Amino acid sequence: MGDVIVTMEHIYKSFPGVKALDDVHFELRSGEVMALLGENGAGKSTLMKILSGVYTRDSGRMEIFGQEQGDLTPRLAQELGVAIIHQELNMCRHLSVAENMFLGREKTKLGTLSNREMEDEARKILNELKIDMDPKKVVGELPVSKQQMVEIAKALSTNARVLIMDEPTSSLTSREIDDLFRIIRELKAKGCGIVYISHRLEELQYIVDRVTIMRDGQYITCTNYKDTSMNEIIAHMVGREIKEKFPRVNCEKGKRIFEVKHLNAGRMVRDISFELNEGEIVGFAGLMGAGRTETTRAIFGVDPKESGEILLDGKPIHIHKVADAIGAGIVLAPEDRKKDGLCTKLSLRHNIALPNLDMLCNGLGVVQRGRETEMCEHAVENLMIKTTSIEKEAATLSGGNQQKVVVAKWLARNSRVVMFDEPTRGIDVAAKVEIYHLMNKLKQQGIAVMFVSSEMPEVMGIADRIIVMCDGRITGELSAGEATQEKILTLATSFEKKVAAANE
Amino acid sequence: MQTKRLNPVRRFFAIRGMASAMIAFAALIVIYVVFGLSNANVFSAANIQNLLRSMSKYLIIGIGQSYLLITGNIDLSIGSVVGMSAMISATLMTHGVNPLVAAMIALACCLVIGLINGLLVGKAQLPPFIATLGTMFVARGVGYMINGNRNTDAIASGIGAQAGDSFQNFLYYGKTLGVYNTFLVAVAVFIVFFFLLSKTRTGRHIYAIGSNVDAAKLSGVSVFVTTTKAYMVSAFCAFVVGLILCAQASMGNMEAGNMYEMYAVAAGVIGGISPLGGTGLLLGTFAGAAVWQTLENGLNMIGAQVGLQRIVIGVIVVFSVLLDVIVRRGTRKRSK
Repeated sequence: MGDVIVTMEHIYKSFPGVKALDDVHFELRSGEVMALLGENGAGKSTLMKILSGVYTRDSGRMEIFGQEQGDLTPRLAQELGVAIIHQELNMCRHLSVAENMFLGREKTKLGTLSNREMEDEARKILNELKIDMDPKKVVGELPVSKQQMVEIAKALSTNARVLIMDEPTSSLTSREIDDLFRIIRELKAKGCGIVYISHRLEELQYIVDRVTIMRDGQYITCTNYKDTSMNEIIAHMVGREIKEKFPRVNCEKGKRIFEVKHLNAGRMVRDISFELNEGEIVGFAGLMGAGRTETTRAIFGVDPKESGEILLDGKPIHIHKVADAIGAGIVLAPEDRKKDGLCTKLSLRHNIALPNLDMLCNGLGVVQRGRETEMCEHAVENLMIKTTSIEKEAATLSGGNQQKVVVAKWLARNSRVVMFDEPTRGIDVAAKVEIYHLMNKLKQQGIAVMFVSSEMPEVMGIADRIIVMCDGRITGELSAGEATQEKILTLATSFEKKVAAANE
Repeated sequence: MQTKRLNPVRRFFAIRGMASAMIAFAALIVIYVVFGLSNANVFSAANIQNLLRSMSKYLIIGIGQSYLLITGNIDLSIGSVVGMSAMISATLMTHGVNPLVAAMIALACCLVIGLINGLLVGKAQLPPFIATLGTMFVARGVGYMINGNRNTDAIASGIGAQAGDSFQNFLYYGKTLGVYNTFLVAVAVFIVFFFLLSKTRTGRHIYAIGSNVDAAKLSGVSVFVTTTKAYMVSAFCAFVVGLILCAQASMGNMEAGNMYEMYAVAAGVIGGISPLGGTGLLLGTFAGAAVWQTLENGLNMIGAQVGLQRIVIGVIVVFSVLLDVIVRRGTRKRSK
């Protein structure tokens, strides 16, 4: 392990309403792989965006290659040798490997592109990394893993010596991961410092030298990987105290309402089976991208299903499109309410009426305004939506009230199963509590409630039963009594072992 | 590590966009032969000469539009800029201004429109369809007003019969080495912009922003500068076509270049330039312009109605884009 090449001390950063980073420390040496670990929202990405110049810090000291740095820009960071390999790949798919590597820094002679020279240099860099690839190949024709290697090669061609990799293995197969790890070792040998962000804790043993753990925007610890254990890492990641009080309501668990058996829909929904009973809220916990949203979408008929069975009151039902699900009384309050949940430019009236027009129209398909008004006002009153009129644009409401409108759309009809996908994201504490009350009310009315949330305390506080997903599969189920944050996170990071033994 | 050596033919088709350009050339040959078999005059030397001269306008304007299509944008103003170029240069010539000076003034005016388009699309981030729709009306309006809302008199009335003839011969009626000058001008424009697009940094950036504007930005490519350059190229091409139309008519016609923006899209798209950005070769535009002109010419010669010509051309344009969409969908699946 070499010299310290990056030092970040006392870094603070806030966004409106959130303290994203609170006195964070970070250090990187040349020739090492530093894992940066933490739950979703722990502040890992924010910290790395400050290092790579995407964000500027509010205060704190930053040193790169021994030099004190002021505010960086992406350009400046690149010149200093800091490169980020984005999770979503940023390539021009129509251009070749060499063209992408030299984009914005093309070599020219008398105003004419020196393609040969650029290709030769690209080939040299690829050879150094032992990547077998023709620099003339069009990037769009390469598999994702190879595109990622082009990004790495591109970073090296700018003489990057600090490489930040954000979840680099999430879309790779096991063989491709082997290749990536081999390249990471090459980079280490060349003296690069690598920041490795990943939720796949089992991969760390193959490449990582040190780990830095963050939680809730704070620096927790930094140790040698050898001196710690998986249990210790998980304990550090979750050790958050639960301050909020959750309004739990206890109900008699009733008969089974809804059942999903062996549902498959793409890579993110694999062999999903669970049941929802009367009088209980079932929480779905997991990390972002665990496949929970995809599961709700597949059930709701938005995305096609490959196989599986859905039963309502013990009878199989067939959902091919959204209208089938609504007709059966299965509804979804989607994750991104502005994008999927509401027509924000339309009034409350139009939003609430939209999925219920079948009930509101007369035989000629004309909307009965009186009935519509009645339905909307009833919904506003029932859910205590704070608005001066049902003619208000949905966009003008607060986040919590918007969320209530999303729910109001569905409660106007007799729904049997309500799926909430991250219903409290981005709304204030008081509004959150109202959403919890709402879910409790549905539970008391005998409606099956499925509650997807990435906030562990919330799931533990509200749900009667917790199902944990990871990478498109259900990895475990816990009752409210036995659930702890450690248990949930352990299940949420139980990725399938993809790394081959060759890496040992 | 050894890169696989492809044989010359495969290497040729491995060039991005070459396959679709060659499909357009193949279509051109088929169309030409079919018409030739139904009317022998299609193969006559005189007709070939005419074909080359008439397609020149579509080729030049198509080159301009192709630059925008490759960046993932569009330029609806070029037809109006053609008209503006014709009206400004003709009006100046009827007032006795030297043709070269008149052309330079017209060029400056056209480039101003290109610059405005670049500012609106590249800087203010307006949707290109709307921004250039606006400049389309403005440029047409300027063209109308230059000569007081009427067509100009014959240019010879200002610069004299001799200068008028030499201007007309230089751009339209004259031949050099047995080929109409118009076609030679088009070939010159083609070579210059082919070089700019395929061999320079600007050209590379034009492909890059059409392919993935975010990746281009993160690599330090200025989207504004690149977009503006593309709009300047299309304004320049429109200027050249305006001069040609002026030379052909010996006067400025207020409606000159009407609908040319659409013909230009058609020429590019038939030649395999993707309207979604990122791919296409000017060679394809060449074939597209030729297909367009051959259809028009051939349908005329076999006595088809104008209406039928339009229908055939419309179907071919839609079919070309459909092909592009299908091919893209295919490659996306394969790369998964």
